[in-house]
Amino acid sequence: MERLVSMMKKFTALSAIVLLAACGQESVNEADFYTGKDVSYIVATNAGGGYDAYARMIGNYLQKYLAAENVIIRNVPGAGHIVGANTLWRSKPDGLTIGTFNAGLIYGQLTGKDGLNFDLREFEWIGKAAGEPRAIVVSDNCAIKSMADLMAAGEPVKFGSAGIGSASYSDMMLLAKALDLNVNVIAGFDGTEGEMSMMRGEICAILGSTSSFQNFIDAGYGHFILSIGGSLDGVPNAMDLAESEQARKLVAIIDSLATLGRISAAPPGTRKERVEKMRAAYRAALQDPALLAEAGRTGRPIEPAYGDEVRQLVVDALDQTPETIELIRKAINGAQ
Amino acid sequence: MDLGGIFDALLTIVSSPYHIFLLLIAVPIGMFFGAIPGLGGKLGIVLAIPFVFGMDATAGALFLIAMHSVVHTGGAVPSILFGVPGTGPDAATIVDGLPMTRNGEAGRALGAAFGASGLGGVIGGLFILAVLPLLRPIVLAFSPAEFFLLALFGITLIAMLSGESLIKGLMVGFLGLMMAFVTLDPQTGTQRYTFDLLFLWDGVDIITAVLGMFAIPEMIALGVAGGSMARADKAAGSYGLGSVFRGIGDVFRHWGLSLRTSLIGCFIGMIPGLGGDAASWICYGHAVQSSKTPERFGEGAVEGVIAPETANNSKEGGSLLPTLFFAVPGSSGMAILLGAFVMLGIQPGPGMALSGMDIVWVLIWGLMLANIIAVIMFILVAPGLGYLSYVRGNLLIPFVLVLTFLGAFLSHRAWENMVLLIFLGALGYFLKKYHWPRPPFVIGLILGPIAEDSFHKSMSLWGPAFLLRPGALIMIGLIVLSIAYYIWGVVKNKKKPEWQHAD
Repeated sequence: MERLVSMMKKFTALSAIVLLAACGQESVNEADFYTGKDVSYIVATNAGGGYDAYARMIGNYLQKYLAAENVIIRNVPGAGHIVGANTLWRSKPDGLTIGTFNAGLIYGQLTGKDGLNFDLREFEWIGKAAGEPRAIVVSDNCAIKSMADLMAAGEPVKFGSAGIGSASYSDMMLLAKALDLNVNVIAGFDGTEGEMSMMRGEICAILGSTSSFQNFIDAGYGHFILSIGGSLDGVPNAMDLAESEQARKLVAIIDSLATLGRISAAPPGTRKERVEKMRAAYRAALQDPALLAEAGRTGRPIEPAYGDEVRQLVVDALDQTPETIELIRKAINGAQ
Repeated sequence: MDLGGIFDALLTIVSSPYHIFLLLIAVPIGMFFGAIPGLGGKLGIVLAIPFVFGMDATAGALFLIAMHSVVHTGGAVPSILFGVPGTGPDAATIVDGLPMTRNGEAGRALGAAFGASGLGGVIGGLFILAVLPLLRPIVLAFSPAEFFLLALFGITLIAMLSGESLIKGLMVGFLGLMMAFVTLDPQTGTQRYTFDLLFLWDGVDIITAVLGMFAIPEMIALGVAGGSMARADKAAGSYGLGSVFRGIGDVFRHWGLSLRTSLIGCFIGMIPGLGGDAASWICYGHAVQSSKTPERFGEGAVEGVIAPETANNSKEGGSLLPTLFFAVPGSSGMAILLGAFVMLGIQPGPGMALSGMDIVWVLIWGLMLANIIAVIMFILVAPGLGYLSYVRGNLLIPFVLVLTFLGAFLSHRAWENMVLLIFLGALGYFLKKYHWPRPPFVIGLILGPIAEDSFHKSMSLWGPAFLLRPGALIMIGLIVLSIAYYIWGVVKNKKKPEWQHAD
């Protein structure tokens, strides 16, 4: 019996040691968890294009600051970023997967769009790389020359936008509602098709991010007439034109989504330490002079924000009263 | 035009061993990305960008353009040998390329494809030079109204591609058009025949459809029949250098067709929004339409290989134009190239004509030289490739099926596409077995969305009056002529209205 007790004591001691060792091992492993590992970076579009370019650029520097073996870009395109975001949502939350998609999915979640299997509030937000004010650019072929002309337009003014359901389309419909604009939004102008259409004198104007129109304006094809959120010289701001409380709310939503450019997140339930490590590496990457130089050369604006700040922006954007949500739904479905 | 500048640029390239070296490695890389189904030129450029990053603008741009401009030269190889298109725009090459292989003419078909690709590429480069002064009015002449009618014109070509029975052709064509309705409605954003499956929101993937319609049925048929792809006797030496040169000679023998389809390719490339798939099918249709013996098509007519292959290379020259001078990419591949140019410090846009013409000449020469180098490289390996058509089916089928499934998966990174591939493969097999024409299906699927989208846009912009625009009236005239020509052909051949297919 005594032998048995002594054996059990020994066994207990041994297991304690093993357990302690394992814990020690664990914490050592945790400290350099990413060293030599492969990290997947899900991009919700096909290769090529802005999201892919940002991810590849940032991925290189993440690899450096995480000391990871590789940061592998995984393109998961489809259904306007929904497939990519769904994939990230159900990825293993082991800290080895992050992803990037369009913040316009906030509209989808607000209006209860089909196919969304995630709650944006629950993602572990890593940060955002860009985000810049939206603005309306009008073609010089168009009779509308200023915001005053647009507000006073008798005939509906033809606006181009990307496909229905895209963030660009939703932004435009919300703005039209907020400022009570007499517009005819024609969807389906992807990429630079809208600029071509303006050059042909078909559509009159587009709402989009300021930097994307810089070439068009520099070439003398058009000019800005309204800025949302930002400030452009001699151009009115949408917030100043919004007359009701509700209108200001809609403008604020467009603005906050515009701020959330090139967002990255990890799946919900990813371990806190790993999220923190990823956030730190992301911050270091976006402050790396080499990355900034590369971004400057390739014309990709960098307006970073990190971790909880991004999470707060997302949570705030989703925190709307049922009346506002109804208003958004009505505005976006206005065309039907 | 600054002729001195143009030839200085050529001298810059050929006098530098470094530049020649870059061309020599870019060409096989580009062809590789074209030849593996589902990879494609876009991914090639994206993966090459980090390597180009440190180069100076001339070298980097030369490398990328060389790589990009020969993708479809490589893409023709699996189309011809196995009925597996390397890229979407190489799909039309299958229709006659594969029967040529079966007839033991793989070498000739490959030769014709390379010759046509090379010629198309060179004409694409010359086209840029010729059209530069007129660029703006031409590009701006094409609005959604003309797009709609151009797509409609393409759809009327279904009649030409119907083979023995117009009714069968139309039915298959409408099936393709119906498949094109599977997507989100562009007008309302509501789901249409998507059965709540997210992967169908973007429509039926074209690469998957083409693989299902052509590659899978061929492999099943090969498995059932036994033997190798080529049914003719190996001793005929039909894959030797001689037959490759014969194929290249065919391109010049049909010089009128080669020239016309190259120019059609350039035009379609130059107008952003139509895409290479449409270009090669429209040119294939044109080849059938303009042939005196349309019944040979689908049975291994060499013109059926020449037409799409000239078009899919020449369109790259065309699409370079709006990319460089408006900073409006002519195709999705060009959009990526545009980003890479910006990274190299080349600023495309209207300012290009004032500041950066040197780099434009380099790009044009790069495009033409790469196409010529691609032909030379391929002539050397073509006999080896042609030999593949004599590999026994039981060795070939597993390899090709893996490529096919990989292609379907990679094109949209969706496993669901592999299920769709099996479904469409079964459909394609029965169409083949009972002699129903398959090209109309693909035409419907490719042109349906273009027609729908541009119809909506035209109606929103102008209402029904869009049909009265001058460009639209010209297109309507073309459509009427095309239909009248077909009816005339049928009436003329009243005594033998049925084209007999031996297939």
